[in-house]
Amino acid sequence: MNSTKNEIAEQILRLRFNQMIINEKYKNKEFVIPIHLALGHEAIAVCVDIIMEDCDQLVLSHRNIHYNLAREKNLKCEIDEFLLKKEGLAKGQLGSMNLTNEKKGIMYASSILGNNLSVAAGLAFGKKVKKESGVVIVVTGDGAIEEGSFYESLLFAKSNNLPLIMIVENNDWSLATRIEERRCIINLKNFVGSLGISYELLKGNDIYSYIKKLESLRGYALSNNTPVCIEVNLTTLGSWCQIVEGYPNGKFINYHAGPAPKINIEGGPIIENSENDPIFVLKTFFGDEQFKKMSNKVLNDIKDEIK
Amino acid sequence: MKYVQHINKLISDKVLEKEQLVLFGQNISAGSCISGLTKNLKIQKNSIIINTPNCENSLCGIGFGLMLNGVDSIFFMKQQDFLLLGIDHLVNTYNFIRLKNPSASFTIMFVVVDMGYQGLQSSLNNFGDFCSIARIPGFTITNKVDAEQIISKHLVSPGFRLIGISQRLFNEELIDLSLIKSNEDKTIFQYFEGNDTTIVCFNLSLPYGLELYQKLKEKKHNSSLFSVNAVTPIKWNDIIENVKKTKKLVVIDDSKSENLSCDNFINDVLNECKLEKKVIIKKLFSENWLWPNPDKLEINYDEIMNRLK
Repeated sequence: MNSTKNEIAEQILRLRFNQMIINEKYKNKEFVIPIHLALGHEAIAVCVDIIMEDCDQLVLSHRNIHYNLAREKNLKCEIDEFLLKKEGLAKGQLGSMNLTNEKKGIMYASSILGNNLSVAAGLAFGKKVKKESGVVIVVTGDGAIEEGSFYESLLFAKSNNLPLIMIVENNDWSLATRIEERRCIINLKNFVGSLGISYELLKGNDIYSYIKKLESLRGYALSNNTPVCIEVNLTTLGSWCQIVEGYPNGKFINYHAGPAPKINIEGGPIIENSENDPIFVLKTFFGDEQFKKMSNKVLNDIKDEIK
Repeated sequence: MKYVQHINKLISDKVLEKEQLVLFGQNISAGSCISGLTKNLKIQKNSIIINTPNCENSLCGIGFGLMLNGVDSIFFMKQQDFLLLGIDHLVNTYNFIRLKNPSASFTIMFVVVDMGYQGLQSSLNNFGDFCSIARIPGFTITNKVDAEQIISKHLVSPGFRLIGISQRLFNEELIDLSLIKSNEDKTIFQYFEGNDTTIVCFNLSLPYGLELYQKLKEKKHNSSLFSVNAVTPIKWNDIIENVKKTKKLVVIDDSKSENLSCDNFINDVLNECKLEKKVIIKKLFSENWLWPNPDKLEINYDEIMNRLK
């Protein structure tokens, strides 16, 4: 890990503010395409960006904004892409759900649940055929692992000794249903263990410990030519309560896509005062004053960049 | 030589030419090797042949992943109906891939169940539907010469395509015809030139058209015989010019689609030609589709010959 503690903190703050700025524009109805914000997913995205080597490849799902922003480190070209401008990251041709960035190793992104897993296995297989080093990292979620392609892709990757890192972002929700509302519990450790695949759980949003663990797992996957599965417990922030008849306390609306109406950048980068919010966790590593100073610097830098 | 032996030989020759090629599929180098289709394949040192798990959906995605990393591959599949599991990739993944203009090749080659003894699976003689769902280039193989030209040009070539071969013809003696001409894309083949009637065969129906041609020939009635081996947009000019000359048209399509490849052609030919006679032979839906049966096109050749007089 070459980045310092402060650089990592600035990177995660930058990612939060980037998303908040996009959210403000979204609330102003500047975008016509669907965008899936990933507020609350910043720790794993920055962690992946930091541990990725030039020879690694990343494969994403429809909720990919956090990884794209973390890798590209340029908000303007991402906003231009969402505005479908030629100056956009993909010349306005990919929009949000399929946004990739080959120069930064982001090879493929799919809006279809589970679709990206086998493409990632194919990329990893291609590396093996070409005798290239590096891992392929594929990001999926607790909804997509219900698809058969999750099992099929792990089976193929294990059978062919492919160093494929499968990250399962578990936010408990698939659009409007919690796991307990739609299926039985999947014990991922046992599930992937039945195929001889190692499993690691990341929780608590401590970016510094995430980086150490992910670096170690990357090394393990490479040296053993094997897939590994990492489950990341996280919360997609941005939920809100709708005032409707029959719900005296308001009806809970889970954030899935579109603008997050209750999140305002004026309130600062922390959305929730709990370990559900990676920025709240980040603050615990710094004093109030240092955190505030760092936040202001990052926000001002971004504002200068997108003037 | 049998149809399948010829195709196997052509595949063998082609894959041996290519470096860094991945051949994959279920039982492609085990057991009967897809009833001989992939038997005894030899490859370059840096190529790979693997027998895969039974995961057709993911195997389609894996082919596209290989393509994204610049690796050529061929996915051999025992039956076309297995590809139903991969349709997500044929549409969504392929749409992404083609935006990137890949230099690598990905071909899915499968057997079209165009005979009816497999019961419900036999109802899926719908090669064209798989192609039209995302405008995927696709080619069917019916005889010695189209096999040679299609495999030579398309089996390993930048881009993605489907190649379908006939289960009905699998163990039949190879049809060996002299070619008059084929177009650059290898989508239209002309085997005979005559002034009396134009016979145009779609999907895998060339054997029926050839039988009609021969019966007409016995009656001193000279026909032109075309086979349309693809469903992606095709320029019909050569066939339409021929129809303008003969003014008599027989169209044969043995596919079970409701969106037949021949319908586009018929639409254009009716717009451009004044026909004296027209015979269109298609599959008619019946309950027979749903249980084992020979599933041959029922063609009354004598009646057709009378109509063409």
